Amino acid sequence: MSKDELNIKDNTSLFKEERYVQQRENKKQFEAPCSEQETAEALAYSKSAEYMEKNFNRQNVVINPHKACQPLGSVMAALGFEKTLPFVHGSQGCNAYFRSHLSRHFKEPTPSVSTSMTEDAAVFGGMNNLIDGLENSVALYKPEMVAICTTCMAEVIGDDLNSFIGNARIKGVISEEYPVAYCNTPSFVGSHITGYDAMIKGIISYLYTRSGIESKPGSGAESGEKLNVLLGFEPYTGNFAEMRKILGAFDTQYTLLGDHSGNYDSPATGEYEYYYGGTKLEDVPQAANALGTLSLQKYTLKKTQEYISGTWNQQITALSTPLGIKGTDKLLEAVSELTGLPVPASLSEERGRVVDALMDSHPYLHGKRVALVGDPDLLIGLIGFCLETGMEPVHIICSNGDVDYNEVKFKDEAEALLASSPYGSEAAVHVGKDLWHMRSLLLNDSVDLAIGSSHLKFAAKDAEVPLVRIGFPIFDRHHMHRYPIIGYQGTLNLLSLIVNTILQQLDDNNSGFNFELVR
Amino acid sequence: MDPVRQDEFDSEACGSIAPKAKPCPRPKPGEAAGGCSFDGAQITLLPIMDAAHLVHGPIACAGNSWESRGTLSSGPSLSQYGFATDLTDSDIIFGGEKKLKESIDYIAGRFAPPAIFVYSTCVTALTGEDMDAVCKTAAERIGIPVIPVNSPGFVGSKNLGNRLAGDALLQYVIGTGEPEPGTPLGVNLIGEYNIAGEMWDIEKLMNSAGISVTSRITGDARYKEITWAHRAKVNMVVCSRALLGLAREMESRYGIPYFEGSFYGAKETTYSLRQMAYLMNDREMERRVDRLTEREEARLSQDLRPYRKLLKGKRAVLYTGGVKSWSVISALKELGVQVVGVGTNKSTEDDVRRIADRVGDDTEYIPEGGASRILKTVKERKADIMIAGGRNMYVAMKEQIPFIDINQERHKAYAGYEGVLRLAKELTYSLANPVWKLAASPAPWDREGPAYER
Repeated sequence: MSKDELNIKDNTSLFKEERYVQQRENKKQFEAPCSEQETAEALAYSKSAEYMEKNFNRQNVVINPHKACQPLGSVMAALGFEKTLPFVHGSQGCNAYFRSHLSRHFKEPTPSVSTSMTEDAAVFGGMNNLIDGLENSVALYKPEMVAICTTCMAEVIGDDLNSFIGNARIKGVISEEYPVAYCNTPSFVGSHITGYDAMIKGIISYLYTRSGIESKPGSGAESGEKLNVLLGFEPYTGNFAEMRKILGAFDTQYTLLGDHSGNYDSPATGEYEYYYGGTKLEDVPQAANALGTLSLQKYTLKKTQEYISGTWNQQITALSTPLGIKGTDKLLEAVSELTGLPVPASLSEERGRVVDALMDSHPYLHGKRVALVGDPDLLIGLIGFCLETGMEPVHIICSNGDVDYNEVKFKDEAEALLASSPYGSEAAVHVGKDLWHMRSLLLNDSVDLAIGSSHLKFAAKDAEVPLVRIGFPIFDRHHMHRYPIIGYQGTLNLLSLIVNTILQQLDDNNSGFNFELVR
Repeated sequence: MDPVRQDEFDSEACGSIAPKAKPCPRPKPGEAAGGCSFDGAQITLLPIMDAAHLVHGPIACAGNSWESRGTLSSGPSLSQYGFATDLTDSDIIFGGEKKLKESIDYIAGRFAPPAIFVYSTCVTALTGEDMDAVCKTAAERIGIPVIPVNSPGFVGSKNLGNRLAGDALLQYVIGTGEPEPGTPLGVNLIGEYNIAGEMWDIEKLMNSAGISVTSRITGDARYKEITWAHRAKVNMVVCSRALLGLAREMESRYGIPYFEGSFYGAKETTYSLRQMAYLMNDREMERRVDRLTEREEARLSQDLRPYRKLLKGKRAVLYTGGVKSWSVISALKELGVQVVGVGTNKSTEDDVRRIADRVGDDTEYIPEGGASRILKTVKERKADIMIAGGRNMYVAMKEQIPFIDINQERHKAYAGYEGVLRLAKELTYSLANPVWKLAASPAPWDREGPAYER
C-alpha cells in the first residue's frame, strides 16, 4: 500500500478546514467579549515602555518561569554515578515531574523513585515511607547505591534524613554497609543547579568519608591520576564526549565526577537496563588524591568546589561553560596548568579550523542583536561567544542568577565581561526575572535572534524573533543535546546553529529580490 | 455495552464523591509512581483555555510543568501561561498569603481573565495558608470568580486530583451562570480534554447528528460555558475514573441523567452517540444518529481495508490509565489487533470488568507499574507493539519495541471514526518502519555468513 493511498490529515492541516474554522468562530460567543480593535490595542500596549515598566515592577507573581527546582538537579546528579538509584523523599508527583522533564529533554528513560508521602506522613513524618521505600526500591531496582534528596514537603515538616537512614539500617531493611548518600534540597530555595551541587557534594563527601582514605593531593599522580573534572548540571551528553576527547588528546588520566552521559545516551541494544555508565563508586574517594580539580560550572558547583578545596586540599580551577574560542582557550590552559602537560598540537590545529569557520560566517553575524536566557554559567559562555563573533547581546535574563562565586556575583561578572567589548555596550543583565519579562523586552526593543531553551518559544513567537534552542530544557527539537557545544568542536556546532538560523530567516523573509543561491 | 447506571456501583466506584470514605489506592513508597493530586487537578482544569491558572507554592510545581500538556485551544491561550507565586524560604516562615493576594490582583489587572483558578501545593497545605479566604475576598474585590483548588500533591494520586478538581467545579462554577435564551441545550462532555484536538472531531460528529454540546468539561472550554453546565440535558462521562463523581452529583442536584462512554473505536463511538440521543429522549434525533453512524461505520470499514490486512493477528501490550484501558481495546479489536497484555494500574473495578468483557482469557493483567514488569509481558507474550504513555516510550525504544503514545502527551487524535483510521495508520507506520529491521540486524562485521544482505 502506498503511504499516500489514504489521505488522513493530522491536526496541523485538518483544523484549517472551513468547518473547523467556522466552529472556532462560533465558540467566540463564550469568550470574554473583546473586539478585534481592543485586542490590537492590548497588543500595542504590551509593546509599550509603559507596560514594560509595570511588568518590571511586578513583585509577587512569576509568569512563565525559567527555572526548575532543586531535586530535579539532584536526580540528574545521582544518575552520574555507577548503578545509583535517585530516590526522592516527598510526595510522588515531584518524582513524576522530574522523570518526565528529564526524559522529554534527553529522549531517554529516567530511573528514579519516590517515597510517595501522603497526609499521614505530613502529620507523623515520613520515616516509615523512607524505610519502606528503601526496602522496596532496593529489592525492585537492585541499585548499588541509593542517593536520596528531599522535596519541599519533607523540608517543611523537617524530616531528618540522617537519622531515618540510620533507623532503616537498625531495622535491617538495608545492611550497615549499604551506601546511601543524601542531601537536603528544598524547592523553595535555589533552583535545579543548587540541587545538582548539593547532590554532587552529598555523594562525593559521603563516599570519601566512609572510605577512610585521607586525601593526599598529588599522590594520585604516581598511579597516573592527575585530574578531577566536573561538568556540572550538563544538559548536553555531547559535552561529556567532547571533554573526554580533549582530555584524551592531552593524554592525562582523569576522573569525571558525575557523568550522566551514559544514562542519557545509551545504545538501543534490545535490552533496557536501569543503569548505564556513570562514575565508578570506588573512583570517588581516590579522586581526593588527584593533582587538582577542574570545574566547568563555577556558579553551579559552588558548594562542591568549597568542599574539594577545603577537605581534599586540592587546587581548583573553576570556569564557566567553555564556549567559543576564548572560552575553550581558557579550558585548555587550565588543563595544561593543572596537569603540567602542553596543549596538544591536534587541538591547536582544530582551533585554527574553527577560527577559519568563524571568519567565513562573520559577515552574517556582525552586529546581530541577540537576546539570551539561561543558567549563569551557560550565559557567561554564551556572552563570551557572542562578543567574539561580533554579535551584540542586548537582553540577558538569568532567573537563577544571583549565585555568587568567591564574592563575585554572576551579574557583576556578566557586566564586566560585556563592558570589555564595544559589542556589549547595549546589554542589560536581569537576574531573578522570568520569561514574561523577556517578552516585554523582545516586544519593546526588538532583536534579531533569541537564544534560550524551548520555553522561550512563546515569547519569541509573539515577538516574531527566530529562536536558537540552547540550554535546558529543549523539549521540541530532537538530538540537540547529542552535539557538543563546548570546546572547539562545540564552538563550530554553535556557530552553524546560529548562522544557519540567520540564513534560513533571510530566505524565509526575502521578497524575491535577494533569493540567492550563494551565501 | 450495557449502559451503566448509578445503582450498579454506588458503593465501590473510585470516582465517587467523598474521597475520605473510599480513597483511591495509595501509592507505594520506593516505586516510580505517576503524577500527584496537584498534577491531576491541573490536568482537569488547564483545558479551560481562557482562565488563568495560578500555582500557589514554590517555583517547582509550575516550573517543572508549565505548558507541557497537549491540550489544544481554538482561541485563547491564557491557560498556557505558567503563573506561580514562587514561594521562598521566608514565605514559608512568614506566610505567603499577601503574595497570593497581590499575584491574583496582578493577573486580574493585566490579563482580565473571566476567572482565576488557584492551586494549592504540598507546601501551602502544610504551612496552613487560608487559600479559600484569600480567594473569597479577592473575588469580591476584583469582581471575577477566584476559585481555590485544594488538591496538594501529598493527598494522593493523580486520579484523586481529578476528582478534587471536579469538586471545585461543582462548588464554585457549575450553576453560577445561565446560557443565552434560545441556546440549544444538549450534552456535557465530562472528562474529555481535547488532546491533539480530539474534542473537535467529536463535536463535529455530534453536530452532524444534530446534538449540541452544552459544556465541554473541560477540553477547549471557555469558563462561561461551564457555569451553565447544569442546564444540559445529558452528561456523558468520557473518562470515568476521573470525573464520575461530578456526573453523579449533577444527577442528584439537577436531575441530569448520565452515562459512561468512549470515542475510541467505531462501536464505542456509535454506542456513545446513540446513548446521547436516547437520553435526550428525542426520536427524530435517534433516527438521525442511526443514519449517521451507519454511514460512518460503512465508510470506515471501507477505508480500513488495506490496514486490516496488515494489522490482522498483530499482538499488542496496552499500558494506560482509566477509560483508555478498556476503550482502546475495542478500537484495536476492530483493527484485528489482539491485546495480549493490559495495564490495570489506574483502572476502577468497573474498568477492569469492561476490560474482561473485551479480551480473551489468555490476556495478561499488569496491575502495577515499573518498566521491567511491562517489558516482561511484551517478551513473554511475544507482542509486536507496545501502546502506552510518554514515560514508557523511551524504555520501549531501548528494547527496540515498536511503540505508539496514546496518553496525555500524544500528538495524534484517535477519537471517533476518523480516529480509528488514524490509529490504524499510526500502528501500521510504527510496525512497518524500517528502523526495527535495522536495529535488529547486527553490524556487518558481527554477522555470521555473508557480510551484506542484498
